[in-house]
Amino acid sequence: MVGTGAGPFSYAPAIALFPLAAFVISLVFGRQLPKKGAIPGIFATAASLLFSLWMFATVAGGETYHETLYEWSAGAVTTEVGAEEIAFSFGLLIDPLSALMLVIVSLVAFLVHVFSLGYMNDEGETGLPRYYASLGLFTFSMLAFVYADNLLMAFMFFELVGLCSYLLIGFWFRTKSAPSAAKKAFLVTRFGDYFFLIGVVAIASTFGTVAFAGEESFVVAAETAIEDGTTLFGFDAQTWVTITGLLVLGGVIGKSAQFPLHTWLPDAMEGPTTVSALIHAATMVAAGVYLVARMFGYYALSPTALSIIAFVGGFTALFAATMGVVKDDIKQVLAYSTISQYGYMMLGMGVGGYVAGVFHLMNHAFFKALLFLGSGAVIVLMHHEQDMWKMGGLKDKAPITYYTFLAGALALAGIVPFSGFWSKDEVLFDALIVGLEEPVILAAYAMGLLAVFFTGFYTFRMVFLTFHGEPRTETAEDPHGVGWSIKAPLVVLGLLAALVGFVNLAPIAKVAGMDITFLEYWLDGEYGYVEGLTYHHYHEMVAFEEGYIGSETTTMLLSAGLSLGLALAGAFAAHTLYNVPEPKRHTTKLGGAYTVLRNNYYQDEYQVWLAEGLTLPLARTADLFDRSVIDGAVDGVSGASLFGSSWVKRIQTGLVTNYAALIVAGFIALLLGLGLYGGWF
Amino acid sequence: MAAYQLPQWAALAPALLLALTGLVLFLIDSISPRSTDRTLLAGTAAVGALASLAVAVWFTAAGVGTPTVDGGEGVIEIFDGQFVVDQLALYFMIVVTIVTALIVVASYDYLAGHTYQAEYYSLVVLAATGMATVAAANSLVTIFIALELTSLPSYALVAILKDNRGSVEAGLKYFLIGALSSAIFVYGISLVYGATGVLQLDSIAEVIADGGADGFGGLLGLGILMLLGGIAFKTASVPFHFWAPEAYEGAPAPISAFLSSASKAAGFVIAFRVFNVAFPLGEIGNVIGFDWTVAFVVLAIVTMTVGNFAAATQENVKRMLAYSSIGHAGYALIGLAGLSADGGELVMGAALMHLLVYGFMNTGAFLFVALAEHWGVGRTFEDYNGLSSQAPVACGAMAVFLFSLAGIPPFGGFFSKYFLFTGALQAATANTAMLAVAAALVVNSALSLYYYSRLVKALWIEDPPATRDRLGQPTGLYAAIVVAAVMTIVILPGFGPVAEAATGAAEALVN
Amino acid sequence: MTVAVEYYVLLSMAVFCIGLMGVLTRRNALLFLMSVELMLNAANINLIAFAFYHGNLTGQVFALFTMALAAAEVAVGLGIILVLYRNFRDVDVTVPTTMRW
Repeated sequence: MVGTGAGPFSYAPAIALFPLAAFVISLVFGRQLPKKGAIPGIFATAASLLFSLWMFATVAGGETYHETLYEWSAGAVTTEVGAEEIAFSFGLLIDPLSALMLVIVSLVAFLVHVFSLGYMNDEGETGLPRYYASLGLFTFSMLAFVYADNLLMAFMFFELVGLCSYLLIGFWFRTKSAPSAAKKAFLVTRFGDYFFLIGVVAIASTFGTVAFAGEESFVVAAETAIEDGTTLFGFDAQTWVTITGLLVLGGVIGKSAQFPLHTWLPDAMEGPTTVSALIHAATMVAAGVYLVARMFGYYALSPTALSIIAFVGGFTALFAATMGVVKDDIKQVLAYSTISQYGYMMLGMGVGGYVAGVFHLMNHAFFKALLFLGSGAVIVLMHHEQDMWKMGGLKDKAPITYYTFLAGALALAGIVPFSGFWSKDEVLFDALIVGLEEPVILAAYAMGLLAVFFTGFYTFRMVFLTFHGEPRTETAEDPHGVGWSIKAPLVVLGLLAALVGFVNLAPIAKVAGMDITFLEYWLDGEYGYVEGLTYHHYHEMVAFEEGYIGSETTTMLLSAGLSLGLALAGAFAAHTLYNVPEPKRHTTKLGGAYTVLRNNYYQDEYQVWLAEGLTLPLARTADLFDRSVIDGAVDGVSGASLFGSSWVKRIQTGLVTNYAALIVAGFIALLLGLGLYGGWF
Repeated sequence: MAAYQLPQWAALAPALLLALTGLVLFLIDSISPRSTDRTLLAGTAAVGALASLAVAVWFTAAGVGTPTVDGGEGVIEIFDGQFVVDQLALYFMIVVTIVTALIVVASYDYLAGHTYQAEYYSLVVLAATGMATVAAANSLVTIFIALELTSLPSYALVAILKDNRGSVEAGLKYFLIGALSSAIFVYGISLVYGATGVLQLDSIAEVIADGGADGFGGLLGLGILMLLGGIAFKTASVPFHFWAPEAYEGAPAPISAFLSSASKAAGFVIAFRVFNVAFPLGEIGNVIGFDWTVAFVVLAIVTMTVGNFAAATQENVKRMLAYSSIGHAGYALIGLAGLSADGGELVMGAALMHLLVYGFMNTGAFLFVALAEHWGVGRTFEDYNGLSSQAPVACGAMAVFLFSLAGIPPFGGFFSKYFLFTGALQAATANTAMLAVAAALVVNSALSLYYYSRLVKALWIEDPPATRDRLGQPTGLYAAIVVAAVMTIVILPGFGPVAEAATGAAEALVN
Repeated sequence: MTVAVEYYVLLSMAVFCIGLMGVLTRRNALLFLMSVELMLNAANINLIAFAFYHGNLTGQVFALFTMALAAAEVAVGLGIILVLYRNFRDVDVTVPTTMRW
C-alpha cells in the first residue's frame, strides 16, 4: 500500500517548495515586481493546491507514501526500550489525514493570497515584499509540517510557523501594539513549545525513534512497551506515555490557544486580517490539533492524557465563548470564537472522536477563514474601522459580503445544514456517549454544550450589529467599495462553508442507514491508508467505554436536537436584543459579570502577575547568585592567578648569582626528591 | 630507490650544507670585511637553509629512516654509530631549517644599518648546523660537541648589539648560566661513562641491559639527573630556565625567535633520543630505583605553571612571549612524561607535532616583535595599541599566532595541544600522575588565553595613540611573518601527514 | 701501585664542588668563568680515571674534546665580558640588573 517514490508522490516535495521559492523571489525581487511579490505567491500557492489535489486524488486511488528523503544524523544510543540506534531525518508521510490537510492549507493559503491583492495592495500598504515573503515562508513551513513523517521534523516546522506568525503579527511594527502583540504571541507559544521539545527528547531517548508511522514508529514501540509491561525511567510504560504525551501537549496547547495559554491569540489580531484568517484561524492554530491527530495512536494509549485533552478542550470552548459575548471589535469576537472552536476539536479528539475532531478542523478552517476574510472586507468597507458599534446596515450596501458572511456565521453557530452543525454535533455526540460512562468527560461535554448557546449568541450579535439595523456612522452610510479579489475568495469559501458538511452526514446516515459518511471512510482507510494510522485502529485502541440513552439513534437525535436548539436559542436571543434599528449595549444586565468578562477573566493580569510577582524575583535571585557567587568565584580565580603571577615572577630577581643559586637549589631538591622516591638513601 | 647509491656520510647532508653555508659566509666576510651587502649575505644564508630543508624533506620522502620492511632505506649509521640519520633526526632537521630560513629572511630588514652583518649570518647558520647535528647525534660525545656548537654562537648572537646594554646583559646571563649548565652536563656524562664505560647511546642501553651498571645505581642516577639538567637548560625548563626571560628580552628579536623555537627543539631532540635510546624504561628502573618519567612529570607541571603564571602579568610583550615560551616547553615535556615501558609513541608524537607547530607560531610571534622594534613603536602592551589600523596584515598574522599559541581552533596550535591532552589522558591509565599533568595543561592553557588575548585586544580593539609615524612595510619581515601565519593555518589541513611523520619518528625511537 | 678509582671520583667531586661554590659566591665575571672551568676539569678527571678503570680510550678522547670546547667557551665568554665592561664599566656580574621580574 505504501508507495515507493515513483509516480505522483515523487513530486510531493514540490508542494512545500513552491511557496519557499515564492518566499525567496518576494524577498529578493519583491521591490521590482509589479504587485510587490503577490504574483509569485499566488502562483506558488495555486501550484501547491493543484499538486495537493493530485496527491489527494492519488490517495483516493488507494496509494500512500512514506519515504525518508534525507538523513542528517544517525548514531548509536542506548534507549529505555533497548533500541540501539537512532536516526534523525527529513521524510514525507502522505496518508489520508495529511493529504486532506494539505488541500485545506494550500486552498486557504491560495485564497488568502488572492484576497491580499484587495486587502493589502489596493489599500496602499508599504512593506509588501516583506509581507508576501513571510506569507510564502509560512505556507512552506506549514505544508512541510503537515506531511512531516517524524516528530522532530514536525517540531522544527512547528517552530518555523511560530516564527512566521511572529513576523506577520508584527507586520505594522511602527505601531506600539503590534510589536508587543508579536512578542507576546512568540513568548506564550514558546512557553508551550518548551515542553514540546522536552517531550520530543523524552520520546526519542525512550524509544530510539521519532517516526510517526510504520513498524519503527514510537507509537508501535510504546504499544509494545505497554504490552510487555516494560518499566521506562522508573515509571510503568503507560504512565510514561502519559507523561511524554502531556509534554508534547504543552506545544499543542500553546499553538492551538487552549486554556491557559490562549492569551496570545486575541492580541495576535494586531496583524493584518488576512494573516488572522490564514494563520490565526485556519492553519497555524490548527497545527496543535493536527499534531494530536497525527500522533493520535500515541495518545490513544493513555486514557489519562485523552481525558485531560477532552477536559481542557471543553473548558476552553465555554470559557472563550463567554468572553466573545462582550467584545466590540469584530476581530476580537472572531478571535475568541476561534479559541472556543479549537476547544471543540480538542474535546472531540479527547473523547476518541478522531473523525469528529478532524471533521470540525476542516469545517472550521473554511468557515473561520471565511469569517475573517469577511471581516476583512467589512474593515475595508469601513475604512479600517473595527468597532461594531460604528457599523450597521451594511447588508444592503455590500450584499456579497453579507451573504457569504452569513453563511460563515450559520456554520459557526452550528445551524443545520451548514457545515459547522454536522461536525460540532458529531463532536458533542462522541463526547456524550463516552461521558455517560466517564464523569470527567460528561463535565467536559456539559461545558461544550453550554458553549453552543453562547456561540449562537455572539455570532449573531456580531452579524446583526455589523450588517443589520441603521448605519450608525457616516462611514457606514457610505462604505468603500471592494474589488473582485476580495469577493471571489469570499464566494468560494462561502460555498464551502455551506456545503462541506455534507461529506460526513453521520446523523442522517444512522437514521436513514445510508453509506454517506465519506470522511469517516476516508480516514478509516477505505481508499488508501497507512498501517496503524486508521480510525478503525484508533477506535480499537481507545479504552473508553461508550454508553447510550436508549438506543444509539435516540442518543444521537437527542444530542443533535439539544445542540441545535441551544444554537437557535442563542441566535434568537441575539435577534431580540440586537436586530433592531437602534441596538443598545445591554451590558448593565450582566452586572459584575460584565467587568469580569470584559477583562477576559483577568487572564492577562494573572499571567503578568506570575511574570512580575514570581518569575522576576526568581530571576533577580538567580542574577544575584550569578553575580555574587559565580562571578565572584570566577573573579576570585583570576585574581588569585594574577596575584600568584606577581609572586612567581618575583623569583626572577635579575641577579645572575641568584639564578645560579636557585638552579643549584632546584637541582638538589629534584635530586633529594627522586633519591627518596628511588630509595637511594 | 635512487639511481646511484650516495656515500654513507651524505646522509648528514642537511647539517653539512648548513656548515658549508657558514663557511661561505666567512669567506665572503674575509674577501670584503665589514660588508653590508645585506642581499648577498642574507640571500646566501637563506639559500643554504632552504637547500638544507629541501634535502631533509627529500630524504624523508625517499624513506630514509623508514624501516626497510616498509620499503624504506632504513636507519643510516655514520662513523660507527656516532651519528644516526633516522626519521626523528630528519624531522628535527626540518624544524630547525624552517626556523632558520624564516629568521634569516626576517633579519634582512632587522639588521639594516647594523655592523657585523656577515658574522651575524654565519653565527646563525653555524648555530643551526649545531642543532641539525644534535638531531643526528647518537653518542654523548657528539651530543655534547653539537650542543656546544649550538650554544657558543648563540651566546655571541644574543650579545651582538654591542652598544645595547640590554643585549649585553642578556648575553652575559645567558652565557653564565649556559656555562654552568654545560659544566653540569659534562659532569653528568662523565658519571654515566663511569657507570657504564661507554658513551654511545645504544651501547649504554646494552650495558645496562646486561647488568654491567649494577652496583653503580647511585652514580648512574646522579649522572642521568645531571644530563637532565643540561637538557633542561637547552629547553628552558624549570629550574634551568632563569636565563630565558632575560636572554629573549634582551636579544635581537629574530634571535629570540631562533632560540625559543629552534634551540628549544634541539634541546628536546636530545631529551627524546638520550632518554629513549640510552636509558630504556623498565630496565633503567631496576638500576636506579625509579623511572625517569617521574622527573619529567614534575618538570612538566612546574615548568608550564611557572612559565604561564609569570607571563600573565608582564607589561613587556617580548618578555611575555619569553615566559610563554617556557610554558610551551612544559607542554612539550609531556611527551616524555607520558612515556611508559610498553609504548607512548602517541603522546611523544604529539610533543613532536607541538614542536613543529610551535616553530611556526612562536617564530612568527617573535618576528612580529622584531617588526615592532623595526618600527620603533615601543615594547609594552600599551605601545602596541591600535597597530592594526596601520598594519592590518601583520596584526592579523599576529592574532593568528597568539590564538594558535593559546590553542584555539582552527589553528595548528589547537591540534597539537589537543593531541597532547588526549595522549596525556591515555598515558594516565598506566601512570595516574599524568592526570595531574593533563589538568595542569588545561588550567595553564586557560590562563595563557588571558594574556595572549590581552595582546590581541591591544592590537585590534584599543585606539592607537594620536602621535605615531607612518609605519613602513619591510619586505623580508613581512614575508617571513606571512609565511609563518599561513603555515600556522594550513598545517591544519596538512595535519594528517604531519601527525604521521611525527608518530613515525616517535615510533622509531620508542620501539 | 694503582690508586683505586673511588679516590679519583672523590677528588673530582671535591673540585666540582669548589667550582660550584665559586660560581655561587664570586661576583667577578672572570672568577665566575674560572669556577666553571674548575667544574669542567672535574669532569675531565672523572673521564680519564674512568677510562683507565674501564680500560678503553673513549673517556680520554672525550676529555680532549672537552678541553677544546672549554677553550672555545672561554673565548666567547671573554668577548662577552669585554663588552660587559664597555657598557657597564665593571665586570661585576651583579651589576647588570636592568631586566628582571
